[in-house]
Amino acid sequence: MRRAAWLGAEILAFLAALWAAPRAERLWSALFPEVSRPTYQQESWFTLLGSHLALSLLAVLIAAALAVPAGILATRRRGRRFRPVLDAVFALAQSLPPVAAVAVALPLLGFGAAPTLLALVLYAALPLLRATASGLEAVPADALEAARGLGLSPFQRLAQVELPLARPVLLSGLRVAVTLSVATTAVGAIAGARCLGTPIISGLANANPAYVLQGALFTAWLALLLDRALGLLAAEGGSRMGELVA
Amino acid sequence: MIRFEGISHRYGSVQALREVSFGVPQGSLCVLLGESGSGKSTLLRTVNRLVEPSAGRVLLGGRDVAGTDPQALRRGIGYVIQSVGLFPHRSVGENIATVPRLLGWDARRIALRVEELLEMVGLDPGTYRDRLPGTLSGGQAQRVGLARALAANPPVLLMDEPFSALDPGTRRGLQAALRRIHAGSGKTILMVTHDVEEALALADRIAVMDDGRLAVEGPPLEVLGRHAPATVRRMVRAEVLAFHRLAALRAADSALPGPAPGAPVLPEGATLRDALLLMLGHGADRVALMGEAPRHVTLAALLAASGSGG
Repeated sequence: MRRAAWLGAEILAFLAALWAAPRAERLWSALFPEVSRPTYQQESWFTLLGSHLALSLLAVLIAAALAVPAGILATRRRGRRFRPVLDAVFALAQSLPPVAAVAVALPLLGFGAAPTLLALVLYAALPLLRATASGLEAVPADALEAARGLGLSPFQRLAQVELPLARPVLLSGLRVAVTLSVATTAVGAIAGARCLGTPIISGLANANPAYVLQGALFTAWLALLLDRALGLLAAEGGSRMGELVA
Repeated sequence: MIRFEGISHRYGSVQALREVSFGVPQGSLCVLLGESGSGKSTLLRTVNRLVEPSAGRVLLGGRDVAGTDPQALRRGIGYVIQSVGLFPHRSVGENIATVPRLLGWDARRIALRVEELLEMVGLDPGTYRDRLPGTLSGGQAQRVGLARALAANPPVLLMDEPFSALDPGTRRGLQAALRRIHAGSGKTILMVTHDVEEALALADRIAVMDDGRLAVEGPPLEVLGRHAPATVRRMVRAEVLAFHRLAALRAADSALPGPAPGAPVLPEGATLRDALLLMLGHGADRVALMGEAPRHVTLAALLAASGSGG
């Protein structure tokens, strides 16, 4: 409960900082005296935050829609032979640097959010696949044997026994994917996607280090906040399991 | 109730079962006895179709199980395994309610049944219903496993080495609970074990498996008697077998009339093994029997009854 209250306070602080950013002219002038217009005024920081979050969370959602079923398939008896293929495909996707993925996607998908989304999906899918597969593989064999012997259908075993038991591992994979995706979304600004990386690109193009610092600061802060929030969620989900250890 | 007809099964190159045929009468507690790798677990698992035999058929209440829906079949058969397999994310009560929930019972009926079952297996419902499996001892967990298997009141119970992982005291407690449940319900129970003592303590039929074959099948004292098959003699020394056999014989059946002054007194319903242990403990060659008329059991009578004497 106290951890949730702390997190709430931190989110408020983050939003307050976003609100204050275009109004803190004197602070940024003091830090970057050589820059004539040190605060980013082109767009509201809240607009940037909104589209940044929409882009990165949509990417995680699409990645989950691909990777979770793939992870389930790879752990079924019939799908086990696909496991090495799936692993290789998703590892290849992740080994591609996001900048390169965006660059490759540009001529196909044009400027804007689409190439960024593609790069993010490729990037977030591997941790989700790994987490799904290893979470399902860690389900105790005796519980599965009992579930089969008691007459649970394959789908009931998955929904009532395997996925609930794999949940802590799945949530930790989701946490990695979200953090990675939020941090990487900033790269999308190169392709013209509107996000917290936009001021960074704008600052780099216009020799304005104040913009770069502001964009980087808020991107990193957002990623850390989401990591903490998902950590809290995982801890809450795991608290029932925690009684086992206690 | 259960009939095996020419069951054979191969796992790859391993011949696990070779033309096994016998029947388990309704209401009996039949123990499948054998060394590990003898095929006894595989045979047990053909009944609820966790193993589909390569040849032969299993009849349950006269119906070939191969023609039934496996999920529906399993919901009608209790199943208990050595490693228990409670669902760690569900409470004791929810674990027990698994099959009734699958069968669509209403919540009130399930709650009543859970309470009844916890009492039946000797666990206080108020204390244990909401506990998670991880907080239970091995013996408590297997009591819950037994309750879960009995939840929908199946006529047949399959048990795969249910008590083998428990310490001797806990094992005896669970054996007593099972005997009580069997006597009170008339269920047909098929149980796998490698423990001859357990087989003698529980079974009214014993089937001995050896290298995938049925070596012998029949009442315990016949199967494990002086002419026990080689596979049984390999599993347990003849003297130990003779000692365990005493547990299947009631002391009252070997009693002689007349008092035995100064001899230790055996409680009613005791077995000849209890009598022998009491003699050993007191250095006596006879024990008196509790009851209306004065009766006693002598060492000579005991040896004669055991069939191990001259």
